Amino acid sequence: MTTIDGLAAAVTRRRKFSKRRARAGRMFVAPNLAAVAVFMVFPLGFSLYMSFQNWDLFRPAKFVGLANYRSLFTGDPLFSIALRNSVVYTVGTVVPTVLISLAVAGVLNRKIKGINFFRTIVFLPLAVSSVVMAVVWQFVFNTNNGLLNIMLGWIGIGPIPWLVDPKWAMASLCMVSIWRSVPFATVILLAAMQGVPDTLYEAARLDGAGELRQFVSITVPLIRAAVSFVVVISIIHAFQAFDLVYVLTGRNGGPETATYVLGIMLFQHAFAFLEFGYASALAWVMFAILLVLTVVQLRLARRRTAQEERSWA
Amino acid sequence: MGLAERVIKPNILRGFGLYTALAGIAWCALFPILWAVSGSLKDEGEVTTPTLFPAHPQWSNYREVFALMPFWRMFFNSVLYAGCVSVGQVFFCSLAGYAFARLRFRGRDTLFVLYLGTLMVPLTVTVIPQFMLMRVAGLTDTPWAMIVPGLFGSAFGTYLMRQFFQTIPAELEEAAILDGCSPWQIYWRILLPHAKPAVMVLAVLTWFNVWNDFLWPLLMIQRSSIATLTLGLVRMQGEYVARWPVLMAASMLILLPLLLVYGIAQRAFIRGIAVTGLGG
Amino acid sequence: MASVTFEQATRRYPGADRPAVDHLDLSVDDSEFVVLVGPSGCGKTTSLRMVAGLETVDAGCIRIGARDVTDVEPKDRDVAMVFQNYALYPHMTVAQNMGFALKIAGLPKAEIRDRTLDAARLLDLEPYLARKPKDLSGGQRQRVAMGRAIVRRPQVFLMDEPLSNLDAKLRVQTRNQIAQLQRRLGTTTVYVTHDQVEAMTMGDRVAVLRDGVLQQCAAPRELYRNPANMFVAEFIGTPAMNLFTLPVINHSVSLGDWRVRLSREITDAAGEIDVGIRPEHFEIGGRGVEMQIDVVEELGADAYLYGRVTGPDNTFGQPIVVRADGHDPPLHGSRVRLHPQRGHLHFFGVDGHRLP
Repeated sequence: MTTIDGLAAAVTRRRKFSKRRARAGRMFVAPNLAAVAVFMVFPLGFSLYMSFQNWDLFRPAKFVGLANYRSLFTGDPLFSIALRNSVVYTVGTVVPTVLISLAVAGVLNRKIKGINFFRTIVFLPLAVSSVVMAVVWQFVFNTNNGLLNIMLGWIGIGPIPWLVDPKWAMASLCMVSIWRSVPFATVILLAAMQGVPDTLYEAARLDGAGELRQFVSITVPLIRAAVSFVVVISIIHAFQAFDLVYVLTGRNGGPETATYVLGIMLFQHAFAFLEFGYASALAWVMFAILLVLTVVQLRLARRRTAQEERSWA
Repeated sequence: MGLAERVIKPNILRGFGLYTALAGIAWCALFPILWAVSGSLKDEGEVTTPTLFPAHPQWSNYREVFALMPFWRMFFNSVLYAGCVSVGQVFFCSLAGYAFARLRFRGRDTLFVLYLGTLMVPLTVTVIPQFMLMRVAGLTDTPWAMIVPGLFGSAFGTYLMRQFFQTIPAELEEAAILDGCSPWQIYWRILLPHAKPAVMVLAVLTWFNVWNDFLWPLLMIQRSSIATLTLGLVRMQGEYVARWPVLMAASMLILLPLLLVYGIAQRAFIRGIAVTGLGG
Repeated sequence: MASVTFEQATRRYPGADRPAVDHLDLSVDDSEFVVLVGPSGCGKTTSLRMVAGLETVDAGCIRIGARDVTDVEPKDRDVAMVFQNYALYPHMTVAQNMGFALKIAGLPKAEIRDRTLDAARLLDLEPYLARKPKDLSGGQRQRVAMGRAIVRRPQVFLMDEPLSNLDAKLRVQTRNQIAQLQRRLGTTTVYVTHDQVEAMTMGDRVAVLRDGVLQQCAAPRELYRNPANMFVAEFIGTPAMNLFTLPVINHSVSLGDWRVRLSREITDAAGEIDVGIRPEHFEIGGRGVEMQIDVVEELGADAYLYGRVTGPDNTFGQPIVVRADGHDPPLHGSRVRLHPQRGHLHFFGVDGHRLP
């Protein structure tokens, strides 16, 4: 066989080889792709389509253009309430969550005896569902015989109507939300902290840095990417909260709409009032807000890049 | 030499402070659950008193849960749905993840960007059309409604597996190719066994998600016979308002299997998070 | 500037069957450059970290100057360390890296700036002060690590294999720079390496460690000429010293068909001794040991002959290495006669220690 024949044969073999792999690739992706297309992409497009209609499932849909969006922003007082509540809830959850989980992860990031035991305990709430959490905390918040009021009674503070008083309802909701978010954030931050090489801490010790200084000047800056991630995920999650709010403070958004968040509003309009068009429009507005927030955050994060994590030496 | 004495003092103080902090954190994490356990063992009268430990543990509360709701039926349902979806997710997402990570085909990278895009789509946007889809397909109020949407995987699961597969050295696959393996064989015999940490993370996350899901069962299910535990609990909450002991008992019963799974999977799960680079 | 003293310093890791550092007695004089050298696991890095305060001392004590620092926090010991992987803070610039310790110590900004600039000038780092570690080459990062130590003007420099991550050429260049720097600054330095060439070229004295035990601490020349035991004899010098275990017969030992008479003291010691001769201490030709050459390594100016000693009746015995002139080395497969130079024979007893 001349070299040219040999070369041609090799090229054909290579082409057949990569064709085979390409075909396998397509087949492997296909079922997954189908699921994503049917359950993600299609709904995305369809809900957009629906947001321009009035539809209640029984009568045929009626095209109304931007009417849904218009009434959301101008005609619906509940929308601004829900938006405000959602923002308060999001900020009231995410900020304390990040701060607390930074501290908790810092405390857990040690190799002392029994640390695995404590880690297991701290991560425990991860296993608890929102529903169970809500039911349990309802009991904790109970005005007459809930644990919190009992503990407050020990130090002489009168019982607080946690879930009954509109002023306190949002605070109670945030408390539960924080209780639930901190373990998740701690897991992520702890994993990131463990990626920081020990030698950096040794160098800092030799440079004279105490524990707190090491944490602030070395640990925190180096896990910036993980913190960013936690913030983004937490905001997305908190903004759409439904399960927790529904079970803790009821399907109507708590006492005097104190906890009437966007998630509850959506559910109401879609499945109680059967206004699917209007609900879809609401969903898209929420989506748009989240999209803007996320893009802004990613831009900010990219500017102070996490590239430095790749060069430890 | 006096070495031992001189070293111990600062260490003891520091250790004490540390363990106090840890104990405090542990208390914060545990107290609602402990309170629920204590409440579940009290009777109706005692539940109003501010005691931590019930005087006479009323295990009858637990028995009553079984009377008030079809617990075992719902338990079975939850296990069934969570199990099916977890298995499906792991299989299809890892398959697709491998394809995205290592097999070249036309449009692969743009497709993946699309996948990433869907990650950002909030649940609220897709829930209504998904509801419609199930209705149109006639699957509402059937077990299929709980299983089918997640069975073939998700964008998130595929993203996770792809990230992981990218960290496996290419030489492993190349050696298998030289040994004559087809892509399927490479996936099944070599990469998947290697992917335990990521699989653990995906399986556990999926299991918890399905088990704890509330909105979807709420929308899809009417009959108690195919309801999940979470749905059951909320229905009970609605029917037996403020019957705290029984509600707490039910909550604990629902929590227990999860704690078990969590206890077993925890270490592998946390290692998996670090390995798949979930933490940024 | 101060001296560093190990007094019976011991470190035992829980669960280990032998201590990592075993009752080490070593003193480094003020402004001296001492190198700790030995194979992996010999305890050299652990010893260094004991001086830094990063490793607990289970027994014995560590002194810096006259002060017992065994229980003193690292930051109060006034020592600076150059880590093997440099341990540069990735999120800080070179200037910030170098100034970090000074900032913590509360020095005024102006002084921090001055000291940083001085050190940068000394190390040719001025153009890189605003860069982050990820934008530097390996050699530059190494210099930043050194700069970080210099800026603090400590009493002692501790260096943990600072050159091991550099390529060969850079290593040679940098090791000269480090030696010059130390001479100029006059700071007491304890330097750890596994490379005996580095040890021999850089140190005022070299301490050879093995399995946590100090084998010998002396000037390089002394180590080369008078190794205290077989381990040191084999460890120092490349290629390694030839060592032959030979039975003592009639107050003499034989290597192949070459006999050498020994003094009474040596032969009375045991029935068997170890004889060491370095490859460079043979003369080719003349009377002596016969060798069958298996491999010839030509290195330009030198050539190394690897082969076996031929005994009577053409039996082949121990392996042997000999240095020859690179101009016209003997051919592989041939036989040569080697005459060991008299003054360069080393004798070791059965226990490994040197015999006088």
